[in-house]
Amino acid sequence: MKLSDDEKRMRDGEQGESVRMAMEILAALGEIYGAERLIPIRSAHVAGLSLKSHGLAGAQWAEDMASGGARVRIPTTMNVIGVDRSRDLKLPGDWVRDQMRIERAYECMGCYGTSTCVPYYCGFVPRFRESIAWAESSAVVFTNSVLGARDNREGGPSALAAGLTGRTPLYGLHLEENRRGDVLFRVSAPLRSTADYGAMGSYVGRMIGTRIPVFEGISSPDTEDLVYLGAALASSGGVAIFHAVGVTPEAPTREAAFGGRKYEVAEISEKEIAEGRRKLTSAKDRKVDYVAIGCPHYSLNQLRKAAGLLEGRRVHPGTVLWVHTNAAIRNMAAQLGYVQMIEAAGGIVTQDLCTVLGNPEALGFRTLATDSPKMAFYAPGSNGFQVWYGSTEECIETAVKGAWPSADV
Amino acid sequence: MALTLRGRTISKGRATGEALVCRQPIGFNFGVDVANGVITEYGHELFGRSIKDKVLLFPHGKGSTGGSYVVYQLARSKTGPVAIINVTTETIIAVGAIMGGIPVVDQLEKDPYGLISDGDTVTVDATRGLVTIEKKAGERS
Repeated sequence: MKLSDDEKRMRDGEQGESVRMAMEILAALGEIYGAERLIPIRSAHVAGLSLKSHGLAGAQWAEDMASGGARVRIPTTMNVIGVDRSRDLKLPGDWVRDQMRIERAYECMGCYGTSTCVPYYCGFVPRFRESIAWAESSAVVFTNSVLGARDNREGGPSALAAGLTGRTPLYGLHLEENRRGDVLFRVSAPLRSTADYGAMGSYVGRMIGTRIPVFEGISSPDTEDLVYLGAALASSGGVAIFHAVGVTPEAPTREAAFGGRKYEVAEISEKEIAEGRRKLTSAKDRKVDYVAIGCPHYSLNQLRKAAGLLEGRRVHPGTVLWVHTNAAIRNMAAQLGYVQMIEAAGGIVTQDLCTVLGNPEALGFRTLATDSPKMAFYAPGSNGFQVWYGSTEECIETAVKGAWPSADV
Repeated sequence: MALTLRGRTISKGRATGEALVCRQPIGFNFGVDVANGVITEYGHELFGRSIKDKVLLFPHGKGSTGGSYVVYQLARSKTGPVAIINVTTETIIAVGAIMGGIPVVDQLEKDPYGLISDGDTVTVDATRGLVTIEKKAGERS
């Protein structure tokens, strides 16, 4: 791989050990993936910041980097973590302490303590065809697909290396020719809720591997629908980009989405949506002690909807309701009264954390209900929960009644 | 007679140690005890054996990307391999080894499994992309 003079100086340690290490990481990834050079980028998003991902080994690494003088040179946002910095959720003390070591180390390196998987809801919006180095699989798929930015599925250290150098290797989805579709999904099923988009993403993610899906027949999705579709595709599968004909910017037509390539065709009817939903549901017991929604973090629209559904109602005494978002959106929702509506009903609007990367299992919950296709996929392994998956309405109903509304999935 | 092979530099540095040959991929996150370098993945061909101070030959990494941090921790606590030879390095091993300063080469010009055995003395000069093998006493390459 060819390096510019400036990049060679970074590689040779002229800007310190952390920049040297970052260049070595990027050069090695470039070699592995056959990149011919590095390209400049203007934003990075670091993920895997949970204590569950970093472990104490990673916490030590981040502290060593920070104390060694590592500082990011481009705006670098931070992903969702495993604690809520604004309140005591009764999580174990050593968990909170070690998670905050990681948080502080990255902030010392100059990263923004955004603590969210949806930085694009907080002012960090890459433009069409801009190359970026973001980790967090749901944000990768959103920026590629919905914004038309260019991003590979970065890991935590590679995204930090990009932040420290302002560079990323030119390969994969940074190249136009690798962004075309492989499989056409003709959607005949009516998509009635965000949860139906999540179920479709779960179905497609499981069967498509790392190929690129193109959806036809999605008429007018909300942005949130596309966020949850992408989160499902990226968790149930390894998808980093999708196209939706007439909806996403690189697919004005079916021909443009495939760019002249041959493609397979598959159907999405109500049967496939039902299967996607079923695959995300692992619970048998209808009694639910934990309802968690907001993964990816809720937008203001989604918080308002949840607040409206809880108006004049109370969360069941045997059930805990957590609604996940970030500090920016939570603050705005508090200004507008939605946080108070949810909390007056007995729910909690968390900031910074999410169920998968936190450890609410330490509070003794067993059965989770969620409207998140990503949380439903990961929670059995990450938290040990049995899971009910469904719409926001079903989840709020469950929080109020203490039981999943229907045994039919 | 020492045999020298050329490979691809993944993580720079130079180290010499006793070879440990493994034909299965290794998952470092939840697969190795950082305290002593012992492989803890049940059913793995190296289960119960230590990779500490070895020149470790294995095909590639597997499993959770958090494995990069574990490779770093092994290097920092000096309980990991002194050098790594892979068939083809993937990102978990590459990133962790660079973080921890463990020399790594891959894609040797000849199949290393036919040439390196447990107990051989192997020098990995990853900066120059060279691997030198001295067979254990009593064996011929």
